[in-house]
Amino acid sequence: MKHRPLALLGAMLLSSGLVACSTSGGDSEQRADGPTVLDVWLMRDSVSETFQKEFEAGFEKAHPDIDLKIQIQEWEGIGEKVTAALASNDAPDVIEVGNTQVAQYAQSGGLTDFSDKVAELGGDSWLKGLAEPGAWEGKQYGIPYYAANRVVIYRTDLFQEAGIDATKIKTRDQWLAATEKLNRNGTQGIYLPGQNWFALAGFVWDEGGDLAAREGATWKGGLDSPEALRAMEFYQRLQALGKGPKDSDESRPLQAEVVAKGRIAQVIAAPGGANLIAQSNPDLKGKLGFFPIPGKTPDTPGAVFTGGSDLVVPSAAAHQEEAYTFIKELTGEAWQKKLALAMSYVPNKTNLAAAVASDPGAAAMAVGAANGHATPNTPQWAAVEAKNPIKDYMTAVLIGRDATSEAGKASRSITTTLNSGS
Amino acid sequence: MTTNRRPTPRRALRRLPLNAAAGLTVVICLFPVYWMVTTALKPSRDIQSYEPRLVPRAWTLDHFRAAVQADGFTLFWRNSILVTLSAVLLALLVALGAAYAVARLRWRGRRQFMLAVFIAQMAPWESLIIPIYIIARDTDMLDRLPTLTLVYFMITLPFTVVVLRGFIAGIPPELEEAAQVDGCTRVGAFRRVAFPLLAPGLMATSLFGFITAWNEFTYANFLIIKQQDSRTLPVWLSSFQTTFGTDWGATMAASTLFALPALIVFLALQRHVTSGLTAGGVKG
Amino acid sequence: MPATPSRRLPRRRPPTLGPYLLIAPAVLGMLYLLLYPFGRALLISLQDFRLRELIRGDAEFVGLRNYRTLLTDPRFWDVVRRTFLFMAVNVVAIMILSTLVALMIERLGRPARAVVLSSLVLVWAVPVVAATTVFQWLFHSEFGIVNETLTRLGFTSFEGYTWFADGSAAFTILVVLIVWQSVPFAAITLYSALTTVPEELYESARIDGAGATRIFRSVTFPLVRPIFMLVLSLEVIWTFKAFVQIWVMTRGGPGDATTILPVYAVQTALANQRYDLGAAASMVTVLLMSGVLVLYFRQLFRQEGEHT
Repeated sequence: MKHRPLALLGAMLLSSGLVACSTSGGDSEQRADGPTVLDVWLMRDSVSETFQKEFEAGFEKAHPDIDLKIQIQEWEGIGEKVTAALASNDAPDVIEVGNTQVAQYAQSGGLTDFSDKVAELGGDSWLKGLAEPGAWEGKQYGIPYYAANRVVIYRTDLFQEAGIDATKIKTRDQWLAATEKLNRNGTQGIYLPGQNWFALAGFVWDEGGDLAAREGATWKGGLDSPEALRAMEFYQRLQALGKGPKDSDESRPLQAEVVAKGRIAQVIAAPGGANLIAQSNPDLKGKLGFFPIPGKTPDTPGAVFTGGSDLVVPSAAAHQEEAYTFIKELTGEAWQKKLALAMSYVPNKTNLAAAVASDPGAAAMAVGAANGHATPNTPQWAAVEAKNPIKDYMTAVLIGRDATSEAGKASRSITTTLNSGS
Repeated sequence: MTTNRRPTPRRALRRLPLNAAAGLTVVICLFPVYWMVTTALKPSRDIQSYEPRLVPRAWTLDHFRAAVQADGFTLFWRNSILVTLSAVLLALLVALGAAYAVARLRWRGRRQFMLAVFIAQMAPWESLIIPIYIIARDTDMLDRLPTLTLVYFMITLPFTVVVLRGFIAGIPPELEEAAQVDGCTRVGAFRRVAFPLLAPGLMATSLFGFITAWNEFTYANFLIIKQQDSRTLPVWLSSFQTTFGTDWGATMAASTLFALPALIVFLALQRHVTSGLTAGGVKG
Repeated sequence: MPATPSRRLPRRRPPTLGPYLLIAPAVLGMLYLLLYPFGRALLISLQDFRLRELIRGDAEFVGLRNYRTLLTDPRFWDVVRRTFLFMAVNVVAIMILSTLVALMIERLGRPARAVVLSSLVLVWAVPVVAATTVFQWLFHSEFGIVNETLTRLGFTSFEGYTWFADGSAAFTILVVLIVWQSVPFAAITLYSALTTVPEELYESARIDGAGATRIFRSVTFPLVRPIFMLVLSLEVIWTFKAFVQIWVMTRGGPGDATTILPVYAVQTALANQRYDLGAAASMVTVLLMSGVLVLYFRQLFRQEGEHT
């Protein structure tokens, strides 16, 4: 009698255990006779909904034995999520990983090695900025997926009002002059949030500096070099020609939305950003143009950060073969061309560049891509981005603190982080 | 209480600072909540405006519609309710047994047990996530809602034991003993006599557990990996900024809907809750 | 507990298995879901444990190396100092404000009391993530209502003022947020304690000619002391462990200005994938927290011995 509540408790605990057991069948293992369910994680905005549907239909038609299940992941907290997935027993089969993040996973031992498939996938013409971070100790873990770099998106109507010809902007000085002219009568010359560190990185490379450099066996942050300080000075002058918040980045608030709502003449973004702007404010459809970020002299375009993604397969994934089939399709010529056109991306192979020549955004991007750069090639770089002292540094300078000492502080922080790793 | 005396003008004047303070408290409490709710009711063009306004120019229910109709809203809502309620019930049941043992029975190790319960309050849950992840992985419990239930159960258990123990101790044992004399078993006596008196304490602690578990984000984000259908509301809420892309109002609308259940429960139980917390605390 | 002969209830049967069966589920839960993971965390803090080891297993035992790395890092000590400052500022503000609010509620008329209690409850019910997001927007440099209002009131220097770029401003906003979120629980609990103080005590104190402060000091406070101590110790624990608000709002920045121990531990563990260092940091956190509360625990332990 005394034990009744205990029996109840026991039953309760047991039943919660039972629930666990009954769900543990999961839905990925069942359907023994049906098609294999292939779990794929793609990142938010890496493909449009239309492209995703088209691809899914086409893929499942070509491979009726595979049931493709694409899940869209958010950038927020994705590092932890991918880590948790790689370490699990039942990982998703394919994961898209940003090219600045892929190195740390490549060296972690949790990814499938595709070295023997490189030739079959056309690896010799892959974009270097995507293939290199996906490799570790001579083995290829990450397969290049797509690339993109930033351009200037501008409002054609506002340029016309101000009497400015965007095609004539070839140097930084011309760019500043034009932006200054645009920045009046309630129009913002440019919306540049204070923490767009990719844009700053471009200016640093223009000046001949770098975010960090290897010195023998160790790394050293480079924001306090005279070159990098000149770059920050230019950033500051440009940033002042609009009302971009000094203390946040492109995502808080989403810059496409801000541009969609206000009278903003220019914004620095990947060409795909134009779609988002037009989606948010259909009135702007057809009023958005592109030009490459201007360099210091008319004959070299501004340096840009080559962003993009790789596809990886966790070793713990259950369907290795199907995963490879998926990668082969999505990174193959046919779908790459379609993807590049739909999303204004640079295809993953240099020999496919011609496919997007007709797209104005992609064309502007291609000019910049010729002067493309990558973040310092070390797995520890992801740790720098996670904390990102560069952003703090930029805000500090923009609100009037001493650039030299702030740059020193940020550089030291980068140095420590890069050298604290393995 | 002395409030039913007739207020004279002098008295009213004397009470002025008090009422002003009360007014101020209410304003400070409510302003962020007000901002959340009005943002949810503003048309999108007024939300990220360079000239934010205290009172919206126009009202709309669009954001609430968007939030409710968003992919999976009902599913994640259901998951959250399921996980939260079962964690809270489990914690109550387990805590009730332990609290009874501590408050009413004498046994060796009682003090040590209570101290352990109190120390358990300090558990660094943010850092236990990796070990718990490893344990869950090795026992094949990743991606399962019951894992979350167990974690939330453990997070709320110590507080529940502490409060319930104080509460049971507050009920005179003589009541039960009388019932036992009348022929009830000890369990029967407890159930019939003490249990009804415990109701406020049970409510207070379950509400605390409810709010804690309902809000939890880190574990829900880390332990639910592949089965996206098993996500809970906080995780979904945090991905809003991009889920809704162009729709900040929907984020705030969803937050408002998210706060609602806890609020309703709390307002309904308010009186019991306050007395329940006292009973727990005074003895604690 | 030492086997003292029972004083109050000599009728009770001699101890049986009963109590142990009753606490068994709680003990099992604590052992498996708390102590065991804690032990694993302790083990990780003694190993070389990074992403590779998380995926592959078989981590190497390195003794106290992680603790040495941690304790010799000047940044870590800055974080420890900041954690104590953060905890102290928050707890003091929470306790003072919630005591005042509780005293105020007690003196209010019925309708006003209901309004104040309901708004406190409302604050408590708002999801942490949502509240944090709202605060972020209130203080946004370009789009926030705070800057807009201050500018309109004539403080033009606040036009576009970047709250989150300034270490102490960001720190202050976080304190405001955490105090705002914590006062309701503390105030409601303290208020419920106040209602248990018998009215006659106040009456007789007043007849003795005691002023308001005297009454509070010598009548009210001693009676609500146990619950005040409980709330105090819970708030110490909770603010010491404050994490979500900081992580969502500033990620510990700008610089390290809002990095307190739990943020530091998560930064190290999840973002830098040094799970070993992160585990070591949280072991130190637990030690420090126990240090703060050790007196309270001693008192608690004695109290437990007294009443049965």
